[in-house]
Amino acid sequence: MNKTRKIVIVGLLVSLGLILHFVETMLPMTAIVPGAKLGLANIVSLLGIVFFGFSGGLQIVLLRIILGSLLAGTFMTINFYLSFSGGLLSFLVMYVAYRYASNKFSLIGVSVLGAFFHNTGQIIVAAYVISNSAIFYYLPFLTLLAIPTGIGVGLVSYFTADYLPKEISGGV
Amino acid sequence: MVNTVKILDYFTFYDKILIAGIVLFSLIIIFAPLGFMAENYDEDELIIVIKSGSKTVKRIPMVKTYEKTQLVEAAGPLGISIIEAEQGRVRLLEAPEEDPQKICEKTGWISEPGPVIICVPNQISIWIETSEGDLDGITW
Repeated sequence: MNKTRKIVIVGLLVSLGLILHFVETMLPMTAIVPGAKLGLANIVSLLGIVFFGFSGGLQIVLLRIILGSLLAGTFMTINFYLSFSGGLLSFLVMYVAYRYASNKFSLIGVSVLGAFFHNTGQIIVAAYVISNSAIFYYLPFLTLLAIPTGIGVGLVSYFTADYLPKEISGGV
Repeated sequence: MVNTVKILDYFTFYDKILIAGIVLFSLIIIFAPLGFMAENYDEDELIIVIKSGSKTVKRIPMVKTYEKTQLVEAAGPLGISIIEAEQGRVRLLEAPEEDPQKICEKTGWISEPGPVIICVPNQISIWIETSEGDLDGITW
């Protein structure tokens, strides 16, 4: 793929992810379980993996988290480390699942896995930060909630990837 | 002819196994501890524990909250969090202004052992313990 084209599309996906992230923070999901969210920004991480593989996907995830925290004013605070740990862990798991097990899992399965590990990574880091393992009380509720949100994100990514012209993916 | 799209068609066999596995995993963790966790605790023995980081700020016996409303200030990295305990329940009344999401405030009241109020940015955690009283009996 043309290098300029790749930069443009990565930039577009990052800004899309930022917008989804901010829309998501307006939704009062934390009323159900503290810390719960839809994970809409995961759509662009997933698309990044589909279109650009490891390096492009990682660029999108890291840029989205760093820019997102800079815009929200939480850069280098605990919130940043929380989304960083969750985002990175779920990205790695999703990449491995997509790259090596895509004959077994569809994008839905990959996204559910990502949501599951996003929660797990965040809870582990949060438990470490507050040095109180009582927070694991919420883990099963969060992972249960990860199923519908993961399926939704997976379906959206599936259809988006399907409808985008093949030149974007460059036949990757 | 209506072209019906079945959502289930998009799931592979392994997707369904994965989803069922996670649901099972969550449900087991949610329900398993109830088997041996004391369900029939004595209300008089409950203690509210407030921690900042790994330091215990205060332990309030639940009995005291019926006499008068308890207000506790706990200091964390971001500032002072105010905790309110009254009538057998406790909540985080006010998180510091710097806390961007204030998840702990939105958690609301808790009144029994199990749920935790967690303020990750300010490193405050609040939960209810049953006091480790003497064993009622041991059977072999």
